Amino acid sequence: MRWILAVAAVSALLFWFLTQPVALSPEDLPEHRPDANNGQRIYYAGGCSSCHGTDLGGGLEMPSEYGTFLVPNISTDPVEGIGDWTTIQFINAMMLGVSPDGRHYYPAFPYTSYTRMKVQDVIDLKAFLDLQEPVERQVGSHQLGFPWSFRRGIGLWKIRYLEQGAAVDTVGQDALIQQGRYLVEGPGHCGECHTPRDRFGGLQTGWWLAGAPNPDGEGRVPNITSHQDGLKSWSQSDIAYYLESGFMPDFDTVGGSMVKVQENMARLPEADREAIAAYLKYIPARSRKGD
Amino acid sequence: MVRVSGIITALFLLFPLSQAMAGDSPQEQRHELMEDSKGAAKSIGGMLKGEVDFDAGLAMESLKTWQGVGADFGGLFPAGTETGHDTEASPAIWTDRAGFDEELSKFNAAVDAAIKANPTSLAELKPAAGPIFKSCKSCHEGYRVEEED
Repeated sequence: MRWILAVAAVSALLFWFLTQPVALSPEDLPEHRPDANNGQRIYYAGGCSSCHGTDLGGGLEMPSEYGTFLVPNISTDPVEGIGDWTTIQFINAMMLGVSPDGRHYYPAFPYTSYTRMKVQDVIDLKAFLDLQEPVERQVGSHQLGFPWSFRRGIGLWKIRYLEQGAAVDTVGQDALIQQGRYLVEGPGHCGECHTPRDRFGGLQTGWWLAGAPNPDGEGRVPNITSHQDGLKSWSQSDIAYYLESGFMPDFDTVGGSMVKVQENMARLPEADREAIAAYLKYIPARSRKGD
Repeated sequence: MVRVSGIITALFLLFPLSQAMAGDSPQEQRHELMEDSKGAAKSIGGMLKGEVDFDAGLAMESLKTWQGVGADFGGLFPAGTETGHDTEASPAIWTDRAGFDEELSKFNAAVDAAIKANPTSLAELKPAAGPIFKSCKSCHEGYRVEEED
């Protein structure tokens, strides 16, 4: 009987140790003067308003197989939003998925992508968000069933899935491709919808950007690799033009949740859209994963 | 020679037939008009993208195609055609007809203005075509549902 207790105690201790939220401290930050203009660019690359709303006051309900997530208020309201956050708190949230009070965020917030961002860009993004209006909208808590409601368990999930490395190696490639990799894999978080997930909700990188079931319900999120299931027939300039205008090569228009994404991408400098297109033509062509 | 005239005769015979087939249902007629519209967009879009050289004649022809589409399209949504034939029409067309009509008139107004402007260069085509493309996109956002291909 005693050994069972001992095993339980050791397991609990191990679990507590493994699932401890890891955060950075201010001294880990580089010297950097915030640039709100670049922050605005990052804001459009990330499409923050697609989920948090154009007023950033949140409230959108995101149903999922784990329960319903409520998108938080990230406006500058100091009570309902994030107006009183310090830079390091913002970085820990964005890049490590840790809240100011030291708890794990659910990866419905795509920090799994933002973890690949440059710290400087995250600081710049905060400088841009700091210029926006406060919105006094209270957003409730997520409605999740057990065991998903148990936040501490996300610590284990992070050990398995939170990966800062590149999804596709572009070292030594053209600068445009590398810039595209950064935008797609980091702030753009394209993989969060265009890559299928396993049963624990982790991205299956073997099918990187090869399309996935639509989290909104019907249909599929398209394969955006150069496979024949995907963008094989699209040229690099077709992709860039689509992101700018919303028109596909056959002049059908963008649809579904991609509309907002495209409209944000349209506000990026042209070179960024070119970079995204160059990266998408570079990555391995993969067939969509069979259902 | 016999063969050629045979083909021509066959074409003449088939032409009204294909018209009649396309006219089978409002859903199919709508689809046809959208395909025509896409064809016009492809011609003008190719010029805007710089893939093909500016061609004033082709541009005007495409604008006229759009004008024809705009004249007929709104009348093809009678009650009872909300579903069927793989239609991508959104139920919003029937629940918010006024909003849908407003989108259509934006399209028609943009097409009429572009025809009036009679673009003779790419520089003139760009501002004339911009509002038309914009109206396609905004109408699709509100009044079309995406079907999986």
